[in-house]
Amino acid sequence: MSTEIKRGDTVLAAKGITKRYPGLVANDHIDFEIKAGEIHAILGENGAGKTTLMKILFGLVQPDEGEIYVFGRKVNFKSPLDAIDLGIGMVHQNRKLISAHSVIENILLGHPSAGGILNLKRAAEEITALCERYGYKVDLQAKVWHLSEGEKQMVEILKALYRGAKILILDEPTSALAPPETEKLLASIQIMTGDELAIVPFITHKLPIVLTVSHRVTVLRRGKVISRINTADATEQSLAKEMVGREVIFRLERVEDVEKGKPILQVENLSAFNDKGFLDLKGVSFSVHEGEIFGIAGVSGNGQQVLAEALAGLRKAASGKILVDGIDITNSTSLQRWQNGVGYIPAEQRAVGSIGDFSLVENMLMNYYFEDGFSKWGIVDTRKIRNLTEELIAEYGVATPNADVRAKGLSGGNLQKLILARVLSRMPRLLIVNLPTQGLDVGATEFVQNKLLEAKKARAGVLLISEDLDEILSLSDRIAPIYEGGFMGMIPGKSAERETVGAMMAGLQQKATVI
Amino acid sequence: MWEFFARSLDASTIFTIAALGELIGQRSGILNVGIEGAMLFGATIGFMVAKVTGNYLLGFLAGIAIGGVIGLLHGFFSITLGGDQVVNGMGIWILGFGLTAYIGYPYTGPLGMERIPDALGLSPFFFVGIALIAISWFVLSRTNLGLKIRSVGENPSVAEVSGINVAKTRYLSVVTSGMLMGLAGAIYALDYNPVWNYNFLMGWGFISLALVFFSMWNPTILLGGSILFGTLWQLSLNPQLLFPNLLSRYIWRTVPFAITIGVLVLMSTKWFSSRWGAAKPEALGQPYEKE
Repeated sequence: MSTEIKRGDTVLAAKGITKRYPGLVANDHIDFEIKAGEIHAILGENGAGKTTLMKILFGLVQPDEGEIYVFGRKVNFKSPLDAIDLGIGMVHQNRKLISAHSVIENILLGHPSAGGILNLKRAAEEITALCERYGYKVDLQAKVWHLSEGEKQMVEILKALYRGAKILILDEPTSALAPPETEKLLASIQIMTGDELAIVPFITHKLPIVLTVSHRVTVLRRGKVISRINTADATEQSLAKEMVGREVIFRLERVEDVEKGKPILQVENLSAFNDKGFLDLKGVSFSVHEGEIFGIAGVSGNGQQVLAEALAGLRKAASGKILVDGIDITNSTSLQRWQNGVGYIPAEQRAVGSIGDFSLVENMLMNYYFEDGFSKWGIVDTRKIRNLTEELIAEYGVATPNADVRAKGLSGGNLQKLILARVLSRMPRLLIVNLPTQGLDVGATEFVQNKLLEAKKARAGVLLISEDLDEILSLSDRIAPIYEGGFMGMIPGKSAERETVGAMMAGLQQKATVI
Repeated sequence: MWEFFARSLDASTIFTIAALGELIGQRSGILNVGIEGAMLFGATIGFMVAKVTGNYLLGFLAGIAIGGVIGLLHGFFSITLGGDQVVNGMGIWILGFGLTAYIGYPYTGPLGMERIPDALGLSPFFFVGIALIAISWFVLSRTNLGLKIRSVGENPSVAEVSGINVAKTRYLSVVTSGMLMGLAGAIYALDYNPVWNYNFLMGWGFISLALVFFSMWNPTILLGGSILFGTLWQLSLNPQLLFPNLLSRYIWRTVPFAITIGVLVLMSTKWFSSRWGAAKPEALGQPYEKE
């Protein structure tokens, strides 16, 4: 843009944005504006209309009604390209980068001045200058699949800035970052606002971050703007209340007084390979006791996924031993593990936790078909499993018209409730939960976390794997931060400090094992 | 001996150009298992046009053009309609097999034109093939267009949000791909073996398809693989030149195909994909729909 932008100028304004989908008004007359040099957060639960608004502002979706003004001029986006050309950049939550290509190729992709023959040398110089300006360090020749989540996000931001973005839309900017990476991101955002860039983060959870960086907050609920507040006047509680529409308890009741019993799960020197054939889990040993939540904190890609799959029987152990109640299950099938009292709640709700094209009844059957009473001579007792499903839907408050709808129609929170119901109703001795609240809104998160505490009270052993430091700190009795396939130490949950665990997750600090 | 290797290089030229076409399509994410059909079209139409007009150039141009049309057809089914690319490709093979057998039947027999002169004792198309490999390597790895083609093959939705027109880029690749297959067919029918018979390619296209996997989607490795298979092909036709009285010639005849099966099985194993999987275009064979 050739026009000079001054601090305080309105760079983007949306007026009366309305988008209707069959049976749903996703955006209902939303007004929104952002000024140069401002961070204006948009806050809302899943389904509040954030994603639709974001897509409209980036030209991926066209609104039914309403107008968008960029730098005071009315615009009509037909595709993301129109938005990019006007100086809008987007940093996606599920990174939009090509993993097989190098960093510089990703940044250059789609750049108008990339020319016929790529001038990699000139581009590298220009990008390096940008990196220095914002305090980023990244190897431009590295392939993207080698990068950490934080580095990938950096590349996305660099890509947008290199294309000349003046307005940066960030989708859940801190959701997959380790604490030190978050600090770095926030620092760079501060420099950007100093450069008169406008930043629009879209956020569902991690409210404290909204409070530390933003100037204004717009809260959405059910497609409408509920309030627009100066961040200085808001607190974490007040924002959560606006967002959910009721009081939210942030401090979960810690359940301390469960007597720690004998060990249920014993893992000895377990190693496993990932899909690419690299040793992702490098000899971990630990045990989980009755009535205990054992928390594994780590940024994704540090071996916790492989560990969860090895314990659930979905991945072969390269070496080591897994014992449940003293029985060696290292080479057992996942069915044998279910029968031995192991319950598994995978991180991939839709790919592993459920079959989208099956009904809720059929999904429920997946952990019951082998049970006496639910099938006889190989024939399923459909009435019995239907009754069970309907009871559990009511008990867990799964919002669905009936038990015959397909699982893929459920929202993330409701699907997670269904999976929890299926696993917990079998009263597992050992519960393995991987990223149980990832992508869930505040209300559903609260529900899931309370269910984990209930399982603990019922004297199950719970292995909780999470990237969310707050979740780990508030639920776990012992915490083992995982980094590059090994534990950085083991610390009691009661006395764990946020900073210590955060640093250990990032591999910065090792602590002696404390049982 | 020189004669044997010269003929091997001539054969490798056809593999090189056809497989290069397939490679360009695959780098953009479009798998065309009907490469044999596209080559049959290029060979038969090229042969007919050359025979009727008595002009080689027109024959080659016709072969390239029909290849492009077949590529466009595959693009329409695979990109615009979002159909299953393997099914579409099989359709193209069956169509090519049946239709060329029908329309080419009256032209059965030799071309009856003066042979295309050799260059340095080799078919001139050998050098065309090497030039095409060099150009493709340069375009794919060093130019903006190549970056776009590779990107729509790896992850079309990323390309889309980067402002790339996915459908346009894929169409461009798949038509280019078809033109090269048509050219390879025309070279076979007008230069390598200028005698028309129904289904006279007998598997050249399928071996070219396997070569793309063998090359790990790299044009320079593709050239090496083509020469290896060209040599094997010659050996299978004339084993007595190198290994007199060793095994029946019928066994030799199966060697290139057996190796093709072996390569394809090897490529599909977990062992292979865990080591070399990154070379395969991630979105290969997957239709792309806008969000």
